[in-house]
Amino acid sequence: MGETALILSEVFLDVIGYWWVIIPTIFLGLIVGGIPGFSAANTIIILMPLTLAMDLQMGLVFMVTLYCAARMGAGIPAILVNIPGTAGAAATPLDGYPMAKQGKGQQALAISFVASSVGGLLTTIIALATMPILARVGFYMHSVEMIVVMLFGISLIASIAAQDMLKGLIAGFFGLMIGAIGTDVVYATPRGTFGFLELYDGVPLIPALVGLFAVSEAFIIIEKKVIIREDAEPKNPNWHDTFEGVRIAVSRWWHIGWTSLIGLVIGVIPGAGASIASFVAYQQSRTFSKTPEKYGTGHAEGLIAPESANNGVTSGTLVPLLVLGIPGGATAAIMLVVMQFHGVSFGPSLFESQPKIGYGMFMAMAVAYFLMILTILPLSRYMSHVTTIPTIYLAPLIISFTLVGGFVPREYMFDMYLALGFGVIGYIARRTGYHVAAILIGVILGPLLETYFLRALKKSDGDITTLFSSTIGNILWVALVISLVLPIFFDWRRKKRNGPEIVVQ
Amino acid sequence: MAQDPSEKPRQLGGEMVIPILAIVFTLYYFSTIWNSPWTAQVSAFLIGGILLGLCSLFVLRCVVWVNAGKGSFGFSNLVNMDDIRTGRIGLFIATVLFCVLIEPLGFTLTTFLFLLSSMAVLSKFRNLGLITGIAALISLIGWAVFILAFDTRFPRGWFEMTMEAMLQNG
Repeated sequence: MGETALILSEVFLDVIGYWWVIIPTIFLGLIVGGIPGFSAANTIIILMPLTLAMDLQMGLVFMVTLYCAARMGAGIPAILVNIPGTAGAAATPLDGYPMAKQGKGQQALAISFVASSVGGLLTTIIALATMPILARVGFYMHSVEMIVVMLFGISLIASIAAQDMLKGLIAGFFGLMIGAIGTDVVYATPRGTFGFLELYDGVPLIPALVGLFAVSEAFIIIEKKVIIREDAEPKNPNWHDTFEGVRIAVSRWWHIGWTSLIGLVIGVIPGAGASIASFVAYQQSRTFSKTPEKYGTGHAEGLIAPESANNGVTSGTLVPLLVLGIPGGATAAIMLVVMQFHGVSFGPSLFESQPKIGYGMFMAMAVAYFLMILTILPLSRYMSHVTTIPTIYLAPLIISFTLVGGFVPREYMFDMYLALGFGVIGYIARRTGYHVAAILIGVILGPLLETYFLRALKKSDGDITTLFSSTIGNILWVALVISLVLPIFFDWRRKKRNGPEIVVQ
Repeated sequence: MAQDPSEKPRQLGGEMVIPILAIVFTLYYFSTIWNSPWTAQVSAFLIGGILLGLCSLFVLRCVVWVNAGKGSFGFSNLVNMDDIRTGRIGLFIATVLFCVLIEPLGFTLTTFLFLLSSMAVLSKFRNLGLITGIAALISLIGWAVFILAFDTRFPRGWFEMTMEAMLQNG
């Protein structure tokens, strides 16, 4: 214990000495995270020669900081202009954007920054302390269990659809159907591809995200002079809104804590990602809220949940990477390549043979989150100005940069046309009262659900009862049913309580 | 219950576009997996079946509402004169042209032309000097960041080639 504390303090001093790398990387991460198509993963790939030229510890500090900052940066356009920078921030605009429209963009950014930093910092500490236990989580999560985790995320469709259940479900299932485009995972039979080879791998997420959120939003916002609502209280930039946002977030420390833990646990599972974590956290947050009806209208807790969860994922993905050598996501896979280039071998022995590397990654994450809150929070005052830029300038900017962002991940021109196609679908959906987030949840989670479903069926020779064959899976099924039934029960109880009051009045 | 005469009837024609798209797509999808192995069919038939059921229910609901005078099969919530007034149609045409022209003309020049034309349409051709300046500045920043600094494989055209030659020759 004493030895570990000594190593940790040494590592801390080493990492903090790289502040001159961390701070510029934070800004780089915020930019690449905020532009759809540019993620931490492809930025690290682009800057791979630079990363390989650095010494190992500096390279790790750079990559980890970029990873954390990009995750946080994805939430900024999600809040200000309803465009999630990555799929992991797809649940952020549900409450973040309504806040921005109400003139509370600065407050929303401050809430998001605190939730992200505190969530990330907290889960980093927990991951560090419980690494051996967390590393085993992945072993217990097989196809059956993953199906239930996916269903937790997909059940958010029902929550979003609360206003008009039928239209919400149509949007969600339409998304699931679009998500089923591509070859099937067992025999690679092409399905619903319209003959396009580019769709054989399925619908790429970034063009779908760009089209459904960014392009369609750009065509909607031009009806108004600025994004901010006309009846919103006009404000000059002031520090008060930032402090108010910090106060709101800090007062919900418990909420940040448990939703970031959801992110941590989901992040530990290889293959699961920030998008699943943020949808599940949002859905659970709404389920256990005393005011579920406020979700979707600019409710602070609806913003805290996805932001703290997707930052919880960042520390979670490092656990299987360091302990088992299994990367939990694309960025972690690239980190693996860089570390292997430097001769680092993974596994439980890493913490004995090269403790400074093992602990160093978590320490870099903790320091990055700490410095991030100090550097970004003051900027929320200036970032929120985006909501006051005239839409005649903003809309074309959004369209041009997000459409080319759709091109970046695979570098197919086809993806730009696909983003435009999704933009048209998103525009029609918005104008006629269908929730684009419900479509996107289907597109993101549909293929994953199908993959796990087919794997489970294949392993059991087509026996559907396999879905209820594992203890952990069954516990998760019960939890899923409870989380679906509870809101209905709470709603019924609230109506029952409020009923007599109305009579008395 | 009588309907409030001041209340505009719901434009259900517009609301039916997504369900009809969903039905058409689902039927097309089914046609592509009809003779496929069961692994390719199982989840699609499950999800598609539910989707078809939901869409049929929605169409039925619309018909009942129209018959009850609660709505009409109009499309004004989707397409109306505002689309011309706000410049939305102009912006859409510019966006389609942006996608078509970016490959032959390259990222920078196409972005400049797109920003210039769409901002001009949206501002009803006012402040053209300012708009030209903004479009030029933004597209140059885009070129500097994405092509010069990050060396991404954005489509390259005349401008990018010329700049590359100029920079290589000092």
